[in-house]
Amino acid sequence: MRLSIRHDTTYHYDDQVRASIQYLRLTPQESERQHVISWQLDLPRPARAQRDPYGNILHVLTLDEPHESIVIGARGQVDIDEHQDAEHDRQSALPFLRFTRLTQPDEALREFAASQCKERRDRSALTDLMQALNARITYQPGTTQVESTAAEAFAGGVGVCQDHAHAFLACVRSLGVPARYVSGYLYTESSTHLSSHAWAEAWLGDAWYSFDVTNCLTRPERHLKLAVGLDYLDACPVRGMRRGGGGEQMHARVLVSPLMQVQQQ
Amino acid sequence: MARVFYDEMYDANGHCRPHYQEFARWLADTPPELLAQRRREADLLFHRAGITFTLYGDEQGTERLIPFDTIPRSIPASEWRIVERGCIQRVKALNMFLADLYHDQRILKAGIIPPEQVLANEQYQLAMQGLDLHRDIYSHISGVDLVRDGDGTYYVLEDNLRTPSGVSYMLEDRKMMMRLFPELFAVQRIAPIDHYPNLLLDTLRSSSPLDNPSVVVLTPGRFNSAYFEHAFLAREMGVELVEGADLFVRDDRVYMRTTAGPRQVDVIYRRLDDAFLDPLAFNPDSMLGVPGLLAAYRSGNVVLANAIGTGVADDKSVYPFVTDMVRFYLDEEPILKNVPTWQCRKPEELSHVLANLPELVVKETQGSGGYGMLVGPAASAAEIEAFRTRLKARPEAYIAQPTLCLSTCPTFVETGIAPRHIDLRPFVLSGRETRLVPGGLTRVALREGSLVVNSSQGGGTKDTWIVED
Repeated sequence: MRLSIRHDTTYHYDDQVRASIQYLRLTPQESERQHVISWQLDLPRPARAQRDPYGNILHVLTLDEPHESIVIGARGQVDIDEHQDAEHDRQSALPFLRFTRLTQPDEALREFAASQCKERRDRSALTDLMQALNARITYQPGTTQVESTAAEAFAGGVGVCQDHAHAFLACVRSLGVPARYVSGYLYTESSTHLSSHAWAEAWLGDAWYSFDVTNCLTRPERHLKLAVGLDYLDACPVRGMRRGGGGEQMHARVLVSPLMQVQQQ
Repeated sequence: MARVFYDEMYDANGHCRPHYQEFARWLADTPPELLAQRRREADLLFHRAGITFTLYGDEQGTERLIPFDTIPRSIPASEWRIVERGCIQRVKALNMFLADLYHDQRILKAGIIPPEQVLANEQYQLAMQGLDLHRDIYSHISGVDLVRDGDGTYYVLEDNLRTPSGVSYMLEDRKMMMRLFPELFAVQRIAPIDHYPNLLLDTLRSSSPLDNPSVVVLTPGRFNSAYFEHAFLAREMGVELVEGADLFVRDDRVYMRTTAGPRQVDVIYRRLDDAFLDPLAFNPDSMLGVPGLLAAYRSGNVVLANAIGTGVADDKSVYPFVTDMVRFYLDEEPILKNVPTWQCRKPEELSHVLANLPELVVKETQGSGGYGMLVGPAASAAEIEAFRTRLKARPEAYIAQPTLCLSTCPTFVETGIAPRHIDLRPFVLSGRETRLVPGGLTRVALREGSLVVNSSQGGGTKDTWIVED
């Protein structure tokens, strides 16, 4: 499936910002699952691409002229191979066993994971876990914050895709299985869920497998991956800081649409 | 249980050891009132110089003077040369380990260290994976903590490869001794240490591929317990002392704000933990770091000393493998010994530890500064039971070691002069070459019988002499 993406993020500030810096993970990369046809970032100032610690493509945007708004645009076309559901990796997955503040499991999460999976550590066990978490944490925008932890969302029983992914990571890592956070885009016919999306991947011996708790999907057919990390903070599309500016309003507009495949003759 | 302690000054028969004889003679000849007066003078001078230490876990953030003892800790030069070679060997191996771990991971493939032990360790930094550092040096400044057991054998208690502190006390203690008792330095050859700031600056400069790099000291600020030392070292080296807010990143380069406009910074001697370096990459709440620093670092445009991710090599759960690292990377036998260590993550070792708690020292693998540690022989039954519960709950977070009979050194106490337990922290500098100034920081546990020398736990310091024999 070929997806066309248009993602514009606009920040408006109440006062003038003296300087700002953003870590942008808004560029997908080639993998077994996705082929990038075209991609471009529209930034207020040129930024050089580099790799971040997780191998993601990172742009660091530094603005030191006073500004009152920032517009960050990303657009392009990517082919998703629906038949590939695993991603291989030459690096060890062991670093993805560690917990972070956002993915620290409490007793409740540990027990939940253990009761769902018992001694099983395979794909079907994690699929059961994914479904159980989907039932346990109801998708409800506006109920949690970006700083909400897995344990908080689990206790509250409501959250968004980020919380689903964090809760899944906390559970899976507590079982001794490496797992990572994925940020990207999702194509859905109904637009009840934002097209900017988060899901999780777990390392099952030979490759990374996807688990989208929010949609109960283990085949990432309509998922375009932007970045991975230990949690939201590592993988989120935009993470920035600024001096001055006062309050801020952020508007993100994402359009994900399928393109008709051109018949190859 | 009778314990035999090795005393640095007197042998088992009570005879003064040769390298202490000049000092003993001087001590016998000097009137006690004069010594007492000099000690008061020292306190006053230290206070005036602002050499204080902020106590963690103290609500008031009390600044306290680290007690300074005027009886030096002395080591014969012939003995020191062995210790020195041992420290250099160890730090070389540790740097090679870090370079290997963040690249080919030969030591893991060889089965010498279990991969999960280091790769799943919180101190292992993915940010360092595959990153090439100038001269392959990760720990430019290392503090190797040494103690001596009952027969005088030196043991490495821990390696400090993150932001080891205490070198300012080493330098100030020497200045104080020379000021109070210049005559002692006239009658014998005591190796000088005042060139440490020069060596440090040279080490920092040589960590950059540039010919004339600009160097700064990055401090978390005046509320940090070692702020005095950060300011001291910056002043001694003649470089700027900066806080995170004084630096900024533009286009993957680090600049310092100055009255004359931005000035690029090439080497940062950072006294800030990894987690606080860059709020955009690590702890987002950190107000102490520099947003964008990690990207600049990974682009090769600035050197951090020490590098990010050295903590994985000085983690107490990795400590048991350091002697193997020496053999693996250098093909040499370790000159300095490790303290035998039980790893509580292993069930059979845990049961040994639980059965012998009253005799053991138990430490948190992530801990430092003497917090969260049990000294079995000195603990009450209730303290031991409380620790037993913690151990059972999270065995992987602890290691245990036999209680060493730390050596003693005569020390001024309220009742006169009495032996107190000491350790030694030499500071190893790794750059073009690996070297150290003779001696290091001697810490002394001032409470009678105490084995905990950390200044946060009531420890003091002594001048450390390397005496030609």
